[in-house]
Amino acid sequence: MIKALRPTEQLTTKHSVKSITLLILAIELVLVSLSLYESVFTWVMLIIGCSGVIRVIIYSQYYKHLPTIRTLNLLAVLSILGLIYSSFNESLLLIMVNLLVLACALKLMQARSQRDVYQLVSSLFFVIGCGFIFNQSIGFYIFYTLMSLILLISLACFQAPSLPIQRQCKTVLKLSLQALPISILLFLVLPHLPPLWQVPTSKSFETGLADNITPGDIAQLSQSSDLAFRATFQGPVPNPKDRYWRAIVMEDFDGKTWRTAPLRKKIQEQLKRQNKEFSPAVTGSYTEYDIMVEPTHQNWLFALDIATPNNSKSANEIWQSSNYQLISNQTLLSKYEYSVRSYPQALAHQRFTQIDQRLNLDVPESGNKKTQSWVAFQRKLKPSDDEFIQAVLRYFTQQPFVYTLRPKLMLSDPIDTFLFENQAGFCSHYASAFAYMLRLGNVPARVVTGYQGGELVKENNQAPYLSIYQYDAHAWVEAWTEQRGWQRFDPTALVAPDRIEFGLQQAMQDEGSFLADSPFSLARMSNVAWLNNFRLFLADLDYDWSRFVLGFDDTKQKDLFKLILGKVTPDRLSLLGLGIISLVALLLCLFFLPHWLKNRMDTTQRLYFKALDVFESAGTIRPNWQAPLSFSEDIQQQYPATISNPFTQITQLYLRIQYQDTNKHKHSVLNTKRTHKLMRNHLQKLKKEIIKNNKSPL
Amino acid sequence: MSIIQKQLNKWLDKRIPTANQYQLNHKSIFIFPSKFGALFIGLCGLLFLLGTNYQNNLMLLLCYFLVSIFLVSLLASYINFAKIHLQMGKTSEVFVGDNLHFPMWLNADQKTLQPNGLINFKFKSEKIKINIDKSLSSNGNQIDGNNFTNPVTLNLLCPKRGKVNLSRVSVECFYPLGLYRCWTHLSFPNNIIVFPKPIPCDITLAEKSLNESGESGKTCQQSLGQDDFSHLKSYQLGEPLNHVAWKQLAKGRGMVSKQFASEDSQIGWLSLKHTAASVGLSQAEMLESKLGKLCYQVAELSRKNRVFGLDLGKTKIAPSSGMEHRQSCLTALATYGDD
Repeated sequence: MIKALRPTEQLTTKHSVKSITLLILAIELVLVSLSLYESVFTWVMLIIGCSGVIRVIIYSQYYKHLPTIRTLNLLAVLSILGLIYSSFNESLLLIMVNLLVLACALKLMQARSQRDVYQLVSSLFFVIGCGFIFNQSIGFYIFYTLMSLILLISLACFQAPSLPIQRQCKTVLKLSLQALPISILLFLVLPHLPPLWQVPTSKSFETGLADNITPGDIAQLSQSSDLAFRATFQGPVPNPKDRYWRAIVMEDFDGKTWRTAPLRKKIQEQLKRQNKEFSPAVTGSYTEYDIMVEPTHQNWLFALDIATPNNSKSANEIWQSSNYQLISNQTLLSKYEYSVRSYPQALAHQRFTQIDQRLNLDVPESGNKKTQSWVAFQRKLKPSDDEFIQAVLRYFTQQPFVYTLRPKLMLSDPIDTFLFENQAGFCSHYASAFAYMLRLGNVPARVVTGYQGGELVKENNQAPYLSIYQYDAHAWVEAWTEQRGWQRFDPTALVAPDRIEFGLQQAMQDEGSFLADSPFSLARMSNVAWLNNFRLFLADLDYDWSRFVLGFDDTKQKDLFKLILGKVTPDRLSLLGLGIISLVALLLCLFFLPHWLKNRMDTTQRLYFKALDVFESAGTIRPNWQAPLSFSEDIQQQYPATISNPFTQITQLYLRIQYQDTNKHKHSVLNTKRTHKLMRNHLQKLKKEIIKNNKSPL
Repeated sequence: MSIIQKQLNKWLDKRIPTANQYQLNHKSIFIFPSKFGALFIGLCGLLFLLGTNYQNNLMLLLCYFLVSIFLVSLLASYINFAKIHLQMGKTSEVFVGDNLHFPMWLNADQKTLQPNGLINFKFKSEKIKINIDKSLSSNGNQIDGNNFTNPVTLNLLCPKRGKVNLSRVSVECFYPLGLYRCWTHLSFPNNIIVFPKPIPCDITLAEKSLNESGESGKTCQQSLGQDDFSHLKSYQLGEPLNHVAWKQLAKGRGMVSKQFASEDSQIGWLSLKHTAASVGLSQAEMLESKLGKLCYQVAELSRKNRVFGLDLGKTKIAPSSGMEHRQSCLTALATYGDD
């Protein structure tokens, strides 16, 4: 990372000059790493800050000496040790980013030579590239674009130290504007390849749903107004109470925690190995929609019940599991779009296997004694499954249950405490308790987590779409009865119908706990009309951004080609390729045109110089100081009349056009075009004669 | 010089023929990605891989943007470099052991556009030659196209008398982003002659050079300052300026020139044969020291505006005086033994 400097590498330019470039780079490094604050370790941040301060001090000439190579080597060794220590449990991606940023900071501290500057600039470009892994919103895109432009400006400053900064900006801006159409063309046309190999990701970046829930352990549900996903509908949008977005099915319960059953996982892995994908029996009407998921760094996908992939691309990339989950083959590292078709009535008609039965009746023997005895009593009264379920649900409506986002902790026998003491909780509490009670009553049941609801956005000439935010996360219950098959039950809906009909915000109006962690969230202020409009406008912008920029993939590319070509055939594709290449070449020519036009002499002069060139090739060169007329006289003496006559004519025409005052002799002036024609004729004659003359030496 | 280099030089001579001045154009400009350019493209490749693996369109966009910048900056570099107009300036006299200051006027015409950025000038050197002959060292000169004073000079140490083997002048520039190196090798007319290093000595004029018998007795010794001032005379056009009595002019008495009375106003000859060399030198060194002494005498005599001839055995220069005579004498001394 750090090497001793060879003296030849020292910059020959002035001192202040190189530091303005380095000052820009220092500011840049600090800003870019601030944008990555979530993934850069705090102590690395401190080192970056130090290097920035060093550069500022040197620029202000408060102190003139860089840290010695020895100090820096020591610092580098310490940093490496620190990095190894801090990244013990971290993912490779995180370590890579930290290493990169750290290397930049150390390089900045000791940068002296031209090579250092170039390396620093390249590394910073790479850091910006890595920034896109973590931040993909429009705001960040604009920020990173600005940062890239500043990097280019720093390069320009390095090459032309005494140009004022405004002109540097102008140069870079001009270059960027010229580059923009080409880069967009490349983006649209170059193939979007699938991932070449599996890339490292990190647990710490996982967002959204967890793969287990332990209701009693959570005193306050943390919420965020981040977007989870968006669904764009081709047909009518389902009603709010039907918007249950299934993500994870949890079938294993140990008295406290619900999680995905290990057996289920094993079976799935086996099926995957044998490539036997589950396909649900689909019946009834369906709705079709596209979903664009935010990067979650997980594999769960979301869909309304019961969903199957709607096109071949989605079918290839999505694995359907036997509990009707959709699982992506790739970890969702960036926005991902897929299209599905949902059959709302199909849930009841699914097959019920032995494994399903075994998994969904399993309850821990110990704990929650009160609930066990209560269920045993109820079950005796209601021998039919349906009646039993209704009785349990009735318990939720008749007792004074409260929906709250700030429940008390329930650490021992959580379900007993919840059902008979606190009677206050949020969706996981209700779902957990309800599923447990059904299982105790010998009704197969399981907890499903996902999202419920969504904000509908309807534009006039656009397909309607739903935005589902993280605070829409929800848990509900699925129970199986012989008569009706699988059925969805949502005890939360009985306690807090507003939660399902109007969303969380409405339900939490009295408690004031909606997004209590983020008081300045725009979503929290949706009752202020213009703020809400602004929020919706931002959401809309983000929607288009996600759909058309982030979600631009090979299918969309194919659609685009189809739009341009009509039909995608190899011939037409290669034609398109040629077209694009010539378009890029044309653009480059266009940028070059002003320079070319500036350098071109006017026609009269050019023709005269051509005539001179002819003589030059014949061996007679006009000295710089000689006037055209006297040169013409020389030619008359040296060459036969056949050659000298046309040249005399050319010279005279040339002088006439160049030097005659057009104002004075309006009538005698020849038409310029005609003169050029004459000159050309004479030039032709001259060339012929010269060739003849050369062939027959005198 | 290897064969490849020879071929290359031949090709260069054909492509960029010798000229007094150049307006750089597509014929004389070479352009190729610099080392940083290669690094930059490598970076783009890396970004492409990362963007593809993370399926990240924004990273791909950044990558394509950088590639386009790379393309566009090719034109920008060329356009900037093509603004350069170079004209050879007049070199001052140079003697052995001196630095030759080779001046070039960069865009002296105010009408033309100025090139931006740092521009490096240096003599194109064949690498092998530099290794063998360390004394032929030349150092480059970096100027800032936006802030410099004309003319741009290149220094070249001249260790040998005679015609300077002036190599081509290399000009290079990395503006605007350092992604491309624009360069050219310009050849300027090779008419600079390095005169022998003058060695101060007494002036020895032979009355007759044609006298083969070598009558050294007839040479007359002269020492400096023996020309005595005799009188003032009104200035005649063509008289050397260093004879003008400037003090008189300042006093308002008009242009008058000093006249010197000297018994040596008759024609004399400087001859190689009659110049004594210092003792204890090898044959070659002896010749050089003789030439140096002659050089000194020519310069001195010309300063005094004396009429003298030069006899170098094979070449003889008829007695005369004036700058042109001085020039031809010095040239003869510089090129002595070349043929």
